[in-house]
Amino acid sequence: MSELAKPAPVPDHDTQPFWDACKEHELRAQQCTGCGRFRWPPQGFCPGCHSWDYEWRLLAGGGRVVSFSVVHHSAVPSFKEDLPYVVALIALDGTDNRVQLTSNVVGCAWEDVEVGMRVQVVFNDVSPEATLPQFRPAAAGGGEGPPRSALG
Amino acid sequence: MVLAKDQTAIVGIGWTAFTRNSQTSTTSLAGEACFKAIEDAGLLPRDIDGVMSWFHRYADGISPRELGEAMGLECPFVLNVDAGGHWMCGAVTTAASLVSAGICRNVLLYVARNSYSEGRTHRAAQSSVGAGTDQFRNPFGQHLAATTFAMPATAHMARFGTTTLDFAHLAVTQRKHASLNAKAQMRKPITIEDHQNSRWISYPYRLLDCCQQTDGAVAIVITSAERARDLPHRPVYIMAGVAGEGETANLWETNGVNIAPKLYQAAGVTPRDVSLAELYDPFTGMCMLHMEDFGLVPKGEVGAWVTSGKNGLDGETPVNTHGGLLSEAHIIALNHVVEAVQQLRPEGVIDDLCEGPHTYDRTTCRQVRNPEIALLCGESGGSGMLLRKS
Repeated sequence: MSELAKPAPVPDHDTQPFWDACKEHELRAQQCTGCGRFRWPPQGFCPGCHSWDYEWRLLAGGGRVVSFSVVHHSAVPSFKEDLPYVVALIALDGTDNRVQLTSNVVGCAWEDVEVGMRVQVVFNDVSPEATLPQFRPAAAGGGEGPPRSALG
Repeated sequence: MVLAKDQTAIVGIGWTAFTRNSQTSTTSLAGEACFKAIEDAGLLPRDIDGVMSWFHRYADGISPRELGEAMGLECPFVLNVDAGGHWMCGAVTTAASLVSAGICRNVLLYVARNSYSEGRTHRAAQSSVGAGTDQFRNPFGQHLAATTFAMPATAHMARFGTTTLDFAHLAVTQRKHASLNAKAQMRKPITIEDHQNSRWISYPYRLLDCCQQTDGAVAIVITSAERARDLPHRPVYIMAGVAGEGETANLWETNGVNIAPKLYQAAGVTPRDVSLAELYDPFTGMCMLHMEDFGLVPKGEVGAWVTSGKNGLDGETPVNTHGGLLSEAHIIALNHVVEAVQQLRPEGVIDDLCEGPHTYDRTTCRQVRNPEIALLCGESGGSGMLLRKS
C-alpha cells in the first residue's frame, strides 16, 4: 500500500461476511435468528437474547441520514484532496434502525445534505480487495416514506 | 448499590503548567502534579497506598505501576483503565470505593500526558488503521473526534433548531472564565464574531468549538471522610458517583439521561440544588447536550440558555468555571475535578486574578458566590459525580 493510500477496512471473524458482500455489491446485515434483532456492529451473539445464531440478510440499500458532519480539515494526506467531504450516519432500511452505518454521502453538494434525507447505497471499489458502501441522494419518491420524526 | 454518601472526600489537588510543549517526560509531569497533591493533602508519599489513572485508547502517559515504582511507594494498589473521557467520574468513584471498602487508605488519582507535543504523531498514525472498530470509521474518513462528536450536535440542531450561534455563546463564556484563570492555556477573550469567523474543522464545529490539546498533568488525593477531618484543607465530600453506559433512544441525547436520575437519587438532591457544574466539553455541542441531560435546562432549550448567559459565573448554574477543555486544558477533565474542589473550598479558587479575598468582580475574580454542590460529568454522560463543601 502506498503512503498516500486511504486506510482499507481490515475484516475480522465477525465482520468478514459484511465486507465480502460489499465486494459483490450487496449490502447485507446480520440478523439474529433467535429474536430477529439486527446486530451492529456484527458480533457472534445477540445483545438482546444472547443467541449465537444469525443470518446475513440482503438489504435493498436504501437508508436515511440520521446525522452528518462535513469534514473541512484533515491531517491525513490521503483525504486532503477530498475536502470538504460528508461523513454521515445512515440508518439502513429494513433493520429497525439497528444498523446505522458511518459512511459518506456522495453525488451531491455538501450544502445539500440534511438530516432525514433519503439515500441509496453505491458501491465504491476502492481496490481489488476492498469495496466501500457509500450513499447518494435517493431519487425523489423512492424509499420507505418520510423520515421518522423521532429521529429528526 | 451506590457509593456511601459523604463517606469519602477529595483532600489534595495538584497540577503542572498546561502547555503545548512540556519539554519533559510524563513521569516528571505526573511526579510534579502528584507530589503537589500529596503535599496539599498534608500527607507524605508513603501515606499513598493506591495509585490510579486512565487513558483513551492508548496509554500516553506513565502507568500507575510505573509511577508507584518511580515514587518509591511500597506495594500500592494500582489501576489503569482504558475508557477515555467517559470514565472521568468513574475513576474518582472507583478510588472512593476502594477507600470506602477499606482496601486503600489514601488513593492518588492522576492524568499525565504530552498530548499536544507527542499526541499528533500518534493520532495521525491511528487514522491510517482500518482494523477493529476503526474498520467502520477510518476508511470513510471519520478520524477526527470533531467528526464523531459532530453527529449528536447536528442531530440536536435538526431536532430543536439549535444553531452554531448558540455554540458561539458557550465558547465565548468559557473563554471569559479562562481569562480569569492564571493556568489556562487560552486566556485571550474572544467574541461571537471571532467564533463565527473561525475556520470550519468539521461541520457544525469551527475551530473555536474545539477543545485544547495539552501537555501537562493533574492529580488528586482521595481519602475517607473520617481521616479527612484531620487534614489541613476542609474536605470536599463525594456525595455520589455513578458510571456505566447503555442505549439512548435518540442521537441528540447522551448517556446522561440514563445515569443522571441515579446520580441525583443517590445524593438525595435535584438539579436545582447544583451550585455549579464542570461538564465534559471536548466540543461546544457536547457540553450543551450534557447541560440538558443532567437537568440544568430542559431538553431542547440549551441554545437559549447559553445565549442568555445562564452558564456564566453569576448565571443560574455556572458551568466550566475554569474554561473547561475548550479553554483551560485537556487533562481528560481531571482538571474539572480540581476546579470543582477549588470552588468548594472555603478559601475558593487560588489561581484567579484576585489579590486577597474574592471580590466577585468579573474582571478579576472567577469564584462562584457561596457554592454548596458541584456536578461533574464525563464524556457523553458516561459517568457523573456530585461533590459538596464541608
